[in-house]
Order: sequence, then structure tokens, then C-alpha cells
Amino acid sequence: MESILAGVSLALTWQSILAVLAGIVAGQLLGAIPGLTATMTVALLIPYTYYLDPWVGIPMLIGMFKGSLFGSSVTAILVKTPGTPAAAATVLDGYPMAQQGKGEKACKMALYSSVFGDSFSDIVLIFGASFLAAIALKFGPAEYTLLVAFSLLTMGFVSGAKIWKGLFAMLLGMLLGIVGLDPVTASPRMTLGFLELEEGIGLIPMLIGFLAVAEVMRQMELPRKQLAASTVSFSDNPADRRVSWLEFKGVFPTLMKSSSLGTAVGALPGISATVAAFLAYNEAKRSSKNPEKFGKGELKGIAAPESANNAVSGANLIPLMAFGIPGDIAAALILSALLIQGITPGPIVFRDNPEPIYAIFTALLLANFFNLILGHGLIKMARRVVTVPKRILFPVVLVIAAASAYAMRGSVFDVQLVFLFGLLGWGLTKLAFPTVPLLIGFILMPILESNLRVSMLIAGSVPSPLAYFFGRPAFVALISVMAILLILVIRRIQRDRQAAKAAGLGSG
Amino acid sequence: MINHFVKGAIALALTAGLATAEEYPSETITLIVPYSPGGNGDITSRFIADQASDIMGVNFVVENRAGGGAFIGINSCANADPDGYTVCFISTSPITVRPHVIEAPYDPMTDLTYIGQFMLSKQPVIVRNDGKFDSIDDVIAYAKENPGQLRWSAAVPRGGPHLATEAMFRAEGAQTTFLPSKGGAVELANLLSGTIDLAVISDYGPALDNGEIKILAETSPGRNPQAPDAPTLSELDYPLELASFFALAAPAGLPDDVIATWDDTMKQITDSEEFATLMERIKAEGAFLNSADFTARVRADFEAMGEATAKFGLAN
Repeated sequence: MESILAGVSLALTWQSILAVLAGIVAGQLLGAIPGLTATMTVALLIPYTYYLDPWVGIPMLIGMFKGSLFGSSVTAILVKTPGTPAAAATVLDGYPMAQQGKGEKACKMALYSSVFGDSFSDIVLIFGASFLAAIALKFGPAEYTLLVAFSLLTMGFVSGAKIWKGLFAMLLGMLLGIVGLDPVTASPRMTLGFLELEEGIGLIPMLIGFLAVAEVMRQMELPRKQLAASTVSFSDNPADRRVSWLEFKGVFPTLMKSSSLGTAVGALPGISATVAAFLAYNEAKRSSKNPEKFGKGELKGIAAPESANNAVSGANLIPLMAFGIPGDIAAALILSALLIQGITPGPIVFRDNPEPIYAIFTALLLANFFNLILGHGLIKMARRVVTVPKRILFPVVLVIAAASAYAMRGSVFDVQLVFLFGLLGWGLTKLAFPTVPLLIGFILMPILESNLRVSMLIAGSVPSPLAYFFGRPAFVALISVMAILLILVIRRIQRDRQAAKAAGLGSG
Repeated sequence: MINHFVKGAIALALTAGLATAEEYPSETITLIVPYSPGGNGDITSRFIADQASDIMGVNFVVENRAGGGAFIGINSCANADPDGYTVCFISTSPITVRPHVIEAPYDPMTDLTYIGQFMLSKQPVIVRNDGKFDSIDDVIAYAKENPGQLRWSAAVPRGGPHLATEAMFRAEGAQTTFLPSKGGAVELANLLSGTIDLAVISDYGPALDNGEIKILAETSPGRNPQAPDAPTLSELDYPLELASFFALAAPAGLPDDVIATWDDTMKQITDSEEFATLMERIKAEGAFLNSADFTARVRADFEAMGEATAKFGLAN
């Protein structure tokens, strides 16, 4: 108890509180700028944090990451340009809502979902870090393979459009996802001789091109008169400007489920917030009674990815606190800040020297609170910016799209990719192909491939592969859950078909 | 007012005239970092640029040109003018290792001038601390008794530490299963969970202090200060041992006076207290080598790697 109080007081000095505040403000603003991911800006600032007191540096880092995950969704919703890849899934229902004049409502939903996801995973971290981390360690390549393969499988059924179109888009995404070095032999594959493609197609150029540039191209086809209007108008109807209690209650189950999913994904080292957001979106759509509403401005379509991607940020600290394994770059930065102070995260630190851990927990919760308050300010600001006429906004979006792709690694090649993907995205929308399966295929394929191939190598290294895989409790548990889910999905498809038939008979 | 402009113009013209006659350096120097921002290579490069700027009295621009496993950035450096105003950060893999196993756009032996080394990192062979293996001999014996059953990994597939360890296994005729992965953190998790039995990674962080892992050997020259009892691969008479360095390079044909200026600058930087603090904070070992000594090391490592590649078929 004493150490808890000592830890809390470490994080409650005015310097620390100011640092969290500053981090949130910077994170929200930088997160809203496409291409400037929080990780990147923090990385640029790191050399300076060496000279900062750790209880200024660490709270600031925490604030920055949390702020940026929300900030990036504001541009995703209002101009279809995700500020960071993690907000790409938020575009899918956020942007349609903004076009219906409900941009403010969508942003607020994103804010509440972000803070909900954050708080959820922080509480799980505080009370269950070591327990969850032990479970996460049971997840090896075989389990990752199952998880991803299953996500792709259900994807095909629920894409909404004709099944063959959904599958085609997904396969195209998967094909784009395997460009780069072969994960096992490390030799270039499908790179067309471009050195720039050896590390694969960049996620940022791909997302910005596919979402933002494609949208600008689509809008350019509109008659000139319409371009004088602003891209999103904001309805003055109060119901469109806020999230009512009833609506919040409606999305609450989605929030709980997506936050749990995000927390689980975050506890697994090496899977990003982007993946969590798409998985949660996919699951919300799969389990919805009205999946056809998704993609047209469904609140749950914002709540799911936003709560899931924020839940990842807290959960990434789970393997860090329990074993000293950083789940992502944010966690790695916090780890280095702790090591500098001579604090070694792991089971021992909880026993011997837990004050810094409690200080971090305090900073996490503080950051959630500030994120909620300051988020409203950001929404107000963004509201003003995006109400400029389209003919002014769109050229600006194109310039930002190009600049953000260039900023990542100083490559003109990436700028070309942005426009190439813009063209592809525009073409596919014209032909009425769904975009979500393509994005999910692209993001999940590299994880699926490397884990599947590593699993196969493992299978070759044990005397009996079946005994090895089915001797793993996590593997058996996953297979069982998936079998049940698959049966449910198939039964629902059958039911829908029968219902359609019955309706057809009735009307005919 | 006009008077000011005239004065300014004259001053500018004068300094411009002086600049060409003046000694190196007199203009802004571009430091290319062939990796994305945020890694240790980027952080140390920015530190070097910052310090060198103070010492040399000129501005530095740090440019991240990532991609192609550092080939792209280094290639653009190799193709720049050798006037000392374009330099780049280099590390082991794209210089002494990968050019042997994958086609590089430049020849590390002829296309670059090596300015100097400033840091070395340790790349140990680690196992779980569960009593299964207590020495490299245990590992080899197990691998020979159970062909293909020893699973292991390294942070960078086909990087120096991976290939040095692979050369060890091949020299012993031991058959193992190498599982490629993405990064040290994931490999550490795989090691702790039993997915692999052995890992060659540098960022094992707190796991060693927590007593979860054990260092059996070191794949680079010199023992690991965190495990002074663990021998190096060459002490164990294995064929390959590669330095894991952080250094600076420039295009081939860099003038001698520029090299001398850099030798001097790098020495000053690596001797400074700030540098020692930075090394301590990123848990690395500051190790200065001037241009001549570092060039000799690169050549020796490049040749050793070439021989080992041919002898043990490491390219496949």
C-alpha cells in the first residue's frame, strides 16, 4: 500500500501532470497530421528526452501515444485521410457519417471509444498483467496462424458485396502483401527489381493513396458547382452533434468486445494497433444483426476500431511489465526510459521496487482523463478547418498525402506509390469492389505467411507434428472456438438464404 | 536601407569567394541514415551530427533514406561527390554481410571510404535458464543427437550474428532448424515460450537480470561484459566471428585532409562525456576506430565472411 502511494505521488507532481498534458496536446495534433505517426515524432524527440527527468519524459511519452491514436481518427473521419495507419478502419464508417452531416457525432464517438478502450486495457494491465502475459506466451506461430487465417476466412463471408467480389479484393490485398523479401529465404520476391520494394509496400503510402487520394479523385468527377461546397457540412441538429446515452448504451457491448480484443492483441508482442482495429471492425460487422449498415455510417463501425486500437496501447505494456518484452515501439521507448533509471521491468520489480510501476499506471489513467477533455477541443478546431470549400481542401489533401508519404523515409518512390494506389482505389470503387477486404488482406497477409511458414518449419523439426500442435492448450482452445464460430456463420448464411427464398416465394 | 543591402551583398560575395578557398568544412554536411527514424542507428547518428556540428562549426542535415535493408541510403551515399559534404551512417549487415548473400547495388570494397567506427554492440548466443543447455558443447551435442530438432533464431535473418552461428553449426556438421523472425523482442518471447531453444539477439534487455535467460557465447570479437564467463566463437575455434559496428562512411575517393578532419572530430566526440552517457543509456559500448584501422577491420571481416560463405554455403 505504501509503495502504491509512493508510486502515485511520483506521477502526481505538477511537472508530471504538465508533461502528460503537453504529450496529449502534441500527440493529438501530430496524430492528426497524416504520415507523422506518433512513433516517428517520439523517435525524433528521444535524443532530447535523455536530458529530461524520467517522470517528465515517461508521462509525456504516454500522453503522446494516447493522444495520437485519437487525433488520427479525426482526419480519418472528416477528410478520409487516417492520420496514422491505426485509424484506417475508422474511415470506413466515420467518413460516411461525416458526409451525412454527423461528423461531430462521429468524432465524439471516436473520442469516447478511444478513452473507453484505453481505460479498459489500463485496468486490465494494472490488475492482470502477469496473468495475461503468461497466457500470451502460450501463443506461438501456430496460434497466430490460426487466428489470422480465421479472420481472413470470416472476412470473405461478411464483406457485404457479392462474395466473389469480396474474395477477389481480399486476394488482391494478400497478393500486394507478399511483395518484398521472402520471410524465410530473405530473397526479393515480386519486387520488379525495385530496391524500394524489398521491405514490402509501405503501409502508409498504401493507406493514404487507397483512402484519401482515391476519394479526391472520385470527388473530382463531380460537377463544378458541387466543388464550391465544403466536403462535409455539419448538421445543426443537436442529435447529430452528440452521442446520446441511448446510443452509447447501444454500442456498449461492441465497446466491451472490441476493447477485450484489442487488449488481447496488444498482449501479444508484434501485432500492431492497425491489425487490432481491423479485426475488431470485422468482428463487429460479423456479429451485427444488420451487417449491411456497416460502411454507410454505423456508430458501431467507429466504436469497434477506435476502442480496439487504443486498447492495444495499454496492453502493449503487459508483456513489458511481466517479462521485459516490449510489444511495440512505444513500449520499447518506455522500456529504455525505465532502464536508464536502473529499473528493470519483470516479475522481480513488482516484488522489490514497484513504485515506478504504480507511477506509470497513474500516468496512464491521467492521460485518459486529459485525452477526453482535450479531445473536444480538437474536434471543435477540426470542424472549422474542414468546412473550407472542396476545391481548396482537396488540393491541400493531395499535397499532404504526397508530403506524408515522403516524410516516412525520404523516398520519392513512396510518393509515386500513393498516387498509384489512389488510381487503384478509385478504379475498384468504380467497379463496386469492397475496399475493406483488400485492406485486411494486405495487412494480415505478411503475418499469416511468416507464421504459417515458421509453423511448417516447426512441424518439420518435431518427431510428431500432430502431437506437438494438439499438445498445445492454446492451439486446441482456438481450434474449438473457431469451429463453433464457423458453424454459427454457416448456419446464419443458410438461414438468410432460406429467408430470402421465402420472401421471394411470398412476393412471387 | 539600400546601403544595408549593398553591404550585405558585398559580405556575401566575399564569404562565398572565401568558402571555395577555405579548408574543409565550410558548407552544410548531409548525413544520410539508411534506416527509418527511431532505431539506435538513427539516434546515435543524430547525436554524432549534433556534436560534429559544434566541433566543425558547420550545419548538419540528417536525412533518413530507408529501404532495401539499408542498400538504398548507402547506395545514394556511394554515388555522391567525394567532397566530404555527403557522409552516411553504416552498420555491419549492409557492408560486410549481406553483399555476400544478396546482390547489392554497390561494392563495399571499392565504392566507399570508411571514415571511422564509433560503437560496437554485443550479439550473444542465449538460451533459457532452465538447465537444458549449460554450454555451447551441450547445444552441439543435442543438435547432433537430434538432427533438425534444435530450433533457433536471430534478430535479423542473414545478418552477421545469424551467419556466424550458422557457420558454427555447419562446421560441426550439426543439422538445425532456423526459424526466421521479425526482431529481437519477438524472438525473446519465442525463446521464453519454448518455440525456439536458442536465440542470437542483442536486445535481450531485462530478461538476463531477471534470471530467465543465460548467455552461452558471443558471436562478435571480445567477451560480453554482462557474461564474462561466456567464450567468444573464435575462442571456441569456430570459423566466423564478425564485429557488429556502428560507423560512418563516405563515397570512395575522399581526400586525405577530409579524412584527417573526421578522424580528429570522431576522436573528440567519442572521448566526450556526453558520448559516454549516451552509450550507457542505450546499453552499448563506445569503440572508436579511425579511418585506417576501421578500413582494415571492414576488409578483414568482408573477406572472412566471403570465405565462410563459400565454404559453408551460407548463401543458400
